[in-house]
Amino acid sequence: MRKIVLETKGLTKRFGNVTPLDQIDMQVREGEWVSIMGPSGSGKTTMLNILSCLDTSTEGDYILDGVNTATLTEKARVAVRREKIGLIFQQFHLVPYLTALENVMLAQYYHSTIDKDDAREALALVGLSPRTSHLPSQLSGGEQQRVCIARALINEPAIILADEPTGNLDEANEEVIIALFKELHRAGRTIILVTHNPELAEFSDRVINLHHGRIQKDVQV
Amino acid sequence: MVGDKGRAMTKRAMFLRILFKSLSVRKNRVFITFFSIMTGASIITALSCVYFDISAKMSRELRAYGANFFLGPASASGSRTLDARTVEEAIRMVPSEKLAGASPYVYGMVRLDLGNAVLAGVDFRGLRRLSPYWQVEGKWISVDFDDEACLIGKSLAKNMELKVGDRVNVIGTETGFQKSLTIKGVAETGQAEDEQIFVNLSLAGKFLGMEGKVNHAMLSIVAEGTDIDGLAVQMGRKFPGLEARAIRKISHSEGKILEKIKGLMAIIAVIILVITTLCVMTTLIAVVSERTREIGLMKAIGAGDRDIVLQFLAEALIIGMSGVAAGLLSGFLLAQVLGRAVFGSAIAFRMIALPMIMAPLVAASLLAAALPVRMAVKIVPAQVLKEE
Repeated sequence: MRKIVLETKGLTKRFGNVTPLDQIDMQVREGEWVSIMGPSGSGKTTMLNILSCLDTSTEGDYILDGVNTATLTEKARVAVRREKIGLIFQQFHLVPYLTALENVMLAQYYHSTIDKDDAREALALVGLSPRTSHLPSQLSGGEQQRVCIARALINEPAIILADEPTGNLDEANEEVIIALFKELHRAGRTIILVTHNPELAEFSDRVINLHHGRIQKDVQV
Repeated sequence: MVGDKGRAMTKRAMFLRILFKSLSVRKNRVFITFFSIMTGASIITALSCVYFDISAKMSRELRAYGANFFLGPASASGSRTLDARTVEEAIRMVPSEKLAGASPYVYGMVRLDLGNAVLAGVDFRGLRRLSPYWQVEGKWISVDFDDEACLIGKSLAKNMELKVGDRVNVIGTETGFQKSLTIKGVAETGQAEDEQIFVNLSLAGKFLGMEGKVNHAMLSIVAEGTDIDGLAVQMGRKFPGLEARAIRKISHSEGKILEKIKGLMAIIAVIILVITTLCVMTTLIAVVSERTREIGLMKAIGAGDRDIVLQFLAEALIIGMSGVAAGLLSGFLLAQVLGRAVFGSAIAFRMIALPMIMAPLVAASLLAAALPVRMAVKIVPAQVLKEE
């Protein structure tokens, strides 16, 4: 059996009287593709923020690649983000004045060494070899999302966390991104994605349904 | 994909690439910030250059208001006169570039056609430089050996019904020496000199029976308070029968005016520094506000606080330093314009001014960046990346 990459135990988040995340226990194994679904307000975004170490839980443990992030300082959580997590956003979030290649190199810059060939290779993997010197404004939405994926992959993270990666794309681009995720999964990447898109979720190994901050269903696809 | 093959790029090169691209994409903001700093630096540089040069310049300007140094017989000597050669030697102790003007004076009573008057023997060339504020109708006497002409005070001319070009008989009351002189000019001084008649020193000596003697001498010296006092002490030591002293009324006024002007300039410089800092700070805050998502993203993909601080401080420093450099240059040129307009001469650049200009301006640039950088560090990526 493959090793557990990510585990939460009693993960809870409270904002005053509101509890968007309540006693979440889950495990994700290496190479697994898990989709988190649920209606608006179910706690998906809060969960993704905690899993990506952009936010902290109020209670419970979150163990990522053997490190309990709940006990870490902000500086150490930045290091976890840098070393272990690849983030993919719904709005792509590329630095507008850097080219596609430089946006990928930016992740290398904060991580360790900068290698142009590695960055080019990552862009080639997502089919953007001819567009490396283009600015985000010169790329389509699908292309920008592919740059975002290349950036998430460049530092070989333990997990890839994606927030509605097809949410801002048209149908054609959505298919390209879905194909890419399938490719990443085949290559053995561990993927957790938050989505409303059942077509995307159906390719995952498991679907976790959240409702009022609790796991309502956790089913193998 | 992190491998050791491929074309490596240094972190510094990437940092500089991010830095310059980030600046070049915000040309308007960068220009506004640069221009604010340059304007502030320019005015502060101009004020500082004038500040450090003003003592010499003002001292020279104030020489137009008359003598600031007195030479007379020491009270202990009991004499009312001095030897003219001693006075000449004492005057020669003043470096020529510092001496705006000097004249010995000898006084006595003479009889004119319509009554008595005070006659003053002077060195006309020295007197003219000593008293540039005198209003002379007609002409100044330009040569000291002119024994045929005199200058007469306005009130005396009026009382004696005399005008430029008239001849007047002058008789020494003690000596009986008599000579007819042409009135070359009528002087309006606003002081006691308006009641006097002026001839050259040697002629006055003959009228008054005081050849080779003077009562005192007045000097106009371009120097600051302490210099002039030092000079008085030196003269007193060298010529024991001589009383040498600064005329406090003038030299103190000079000092006070200078202090006030310098104080005013310092206040203006501080106000401009504060305004520049606020202006730069406002612009940088706007820049940070524009870039919250970019900063949030950088933090989300692994930028630490140090990376963010470094990026924004470097940007502020580049704009700040180039603004200060341009301001130094334009400020020095502005100082020349001020110098020509106010003092009629160039303003010297003094190296002491450089650190005194650079230090507060660079500090102001960094201070202006402090709050925006703090704002940048405080950005919470989870919040800003979720905003539509």
